[in-house]
Amino acid sequence: MIWAAFRLSLLVVSVATVIIAVAGTALGFLLAKRDFRGRELLDSLLTLPMVLPPTVTGYYLILLLGRRGLLGRYLYALTGWTMTFTWEGAALAASVVAMPLMVKSARAAIESVDARYEMVSRTFGKGEWETFFRVTLPLASHGILAGVVLSFARALGEFGATLMVAGNIPGRTQTMPLAIYEAVISGADRQAMYLALILTATSVAVVYLTNVLTRARKTA
Amino acid sequence: MLDVNIKKRFVSGGETTFSLDAAFTVEQGITVLFGPSGSGKTTILRAIAGILTPDEGRVGVNGNVYFDSQGKINVPVRERRVGIVFQDYLLFPHMTAAENVAYGVREGTDKARRARALEMLALLGIEHAAGRYPHRLSGGEQQRVALARALASDPAALLLDEPLSAVDVRTRARLLEEIVDAQRKSRIPFLYVTHAPADAVRAGDSVLILQQGRIVQRGKPQEVFNAPASARAARAVGDDNILAARVVEQRAAEGITMVDSSGCLLATYYNALPVGSLVTLGIPADDIIVSRERITQTSARNLLGGTVKRVIHDEEKVELVIDCGVDLKVKVTGQAVEALGLSSGVTVYLLIKASACHLLA
Repeated sequence: MIWAAFRLSLLVVSVATVIIAVAGTALGFLLAKRDFRGRELLDSLLTLPMVLPPTVTGYYLILLLGRRGLLGRYLYALTGWTMTFTWEGAALAASVVAMPLMVKSARAAIESVDARYEMVSRTFGKGEWETFFRVTLPLASHGILAGVVLSFARALGEFGATLMVAGNIPGRTQTMPLAIYEAVISGADRQAMYLALILTATSVAVVYLTNVLTRARKTA
Repeated sequence: MLDVNIKKRFVSGGETTFSLDAAFTVEQGITVLFGPSGSGKTTILRAIAGILTPDEGRVGVNGNVYFDSQGKINVPVRERRVGIVFQDYLLFPHMTAAENVAYGVREGTDKARRARALEMLALLGIEHAAGRYPHRLSGGEQQRVALARALASDPAALLLDEPLSAVDVRTRARLLEEIVDAQRKSRIPFLYVTHAPADAVRAGDSVLILQQGRIVQRGKPQEVFNAPASARAARAVGDDNILAARVVEQRAAEGITMVDSSGCLLATYYNALPVGSLVTLGIPADDIIVSRERITQTSARNLLGGTVKRVIHDEEKVELVIDCGVDLKVKVTGQAVEALGLSSGVTVYLLIKASACHLLA
C-alpha cells in the first residue's frame, strides 16, 4: 500500500507539475503583459481554487468534466473516457487546486522584469517568442521556479478535490495523503507514520534542492 | 539621415499637461539633443525607436518611413533599424558581456554572432571583459558593452539617452571620445541626449536645444550655448558660456593657466594640465562685466574687446550676446542697458576674472 501510493503520488504530481508549470507560466505572462478586457476577472477566476474549500473545487470539476458534466458528456460521447475514478482525474484535480500559486508567482515574477529589457531585445530585431524565452523567462526564473516548487508541494498534499474527483481506490487513485487518512482510520499506525515521513522527506528535499539551485544561479 | 517630425499631446483629466511639437533632421555625425529635464528629450527618442506612437507626424531613416500618420504607417520596434543606449545600459544580467553583444547581432550562426561580438568588444577595447557578467563590470565597461551591443545590431541610426550620467567624472571624458570615435567608424547618425553642456560641446557636431517640447535653437555647440537666439533658448541652455579650449601656456608662478578658444586667449586659475590639453570652460554670464571704455587698471585678468551682436530681453534681466572672436553671453540689468546705451553694433569691453573661468569636467 505504501509503495503503490508513493508511486501513484509521484506520477500524479509529476504530471500535475508539468501542466502547472507550462499553463501557469503562460497564464502569468498573459495576465502580466497583455492588456485585454476581463483580465482581472480571469485572474480572480484562476485564484478561486486557492480560496474555495478543495471539496467545492472538486464538486465543480465533476459538474464540468464528470461523465454527465457540462463538457464531460461530450468528451465521454466522443472518446468513451471520463476522468472520474482515474489517476488522470487526480492529476487534473491537483493541477487545478495548485494552479493559483503558480499563476500568482509567475505573474508577479514576469511583472517585475523591467519592460525596457524586452524593448531593447526588440530593437535587435527579435520577435516576441525569442524575447520571451531568452530575456523575460530567464529574468523571471527565480519567481517562476519558486512558483513551481510551491505548487508542487500543494499538489503533493492535495486531498479534498482528489477525493471528490478520483475517489480513493488503492493502487489506482489512492495518493499518499489519501493513504495516510485511510491508514489512520483503519488503525495502521506504522503505515501512516511511514507515509507521513516519506511525504515530509520529499517536501524537504524539494525545498532544499530549490534553495541550492537558486543560490547557485545567484552567484554564477 | 534621420528625419523627424513629431507631434504628441499628453492629456490628463481633460487638460493638456505636455505637448511636443518637434521637427528636425539629423545628418551623419553626432547631434546633441539638449534641454532641461521635462523638455521632451526622452519622448523624442522613444518616438523614433517606435516605443511610443506620436499623434501626428513622420519618422524616417535613410528614406525608409517608420512612421507616417497620414500614410497610416507605424513600423514595429523590431523592424526599425534604430539602436538605443539607455542611461542605465540595460545589459542582460544573465548573459556575459560577449553573450550580450552576440544577442544584438541580427543574423548568422551562433559562431558567427560570437565572432562578431568579440570583434565589436575589441573595437571598443574591452575584449578582456568578454566572459564577465554585467555585475562584474565597472560603469565604464558596462557603457562600452552597451555601445558595442547596440552597434553590433547594425543600426541605421543610434540614439543615446544620457549614456554617461552614471559614470564618474574621470572616465567621462575618455568615454565621450570613444563615443565620438565609434560614430566616426560607423558613419551613422548619433542622436545624443544630454543635459550636460560640457558633453554637448565636446561631442556634438551640432546641437538642438529643446525647451518645453519645442526646438528653440539649432547650431554649432558653442554658438547655441553662448549666443542664444531668443529668451526661450537662453532659458533652456542655462547661465554658463561654454567654451572648448586648449591649454597654451602655464604660468605657475602667477597662478595662471592660459587657454585658447578659437583664437581668443583667456587667463584661468592655474591647473597642472600639460600644454596642448583640451579643456572645456564654463563662464557664468553673470560673472562678466561690460564696459564702454577700455579699463586697464583692474584686477580682472581678462579684457576682451567686442561688439554687441544681440540684445535679448527676458523679464527684468537682459542677456547680451557679444562677439569677441568667440560669442559670449552676458547678463546685465535693464538699467545698465539704458545707462550704457547698449544696442546691436556697439563696441564694448568685457572684464572677466580668471576665477570666473571654470574648468568643466
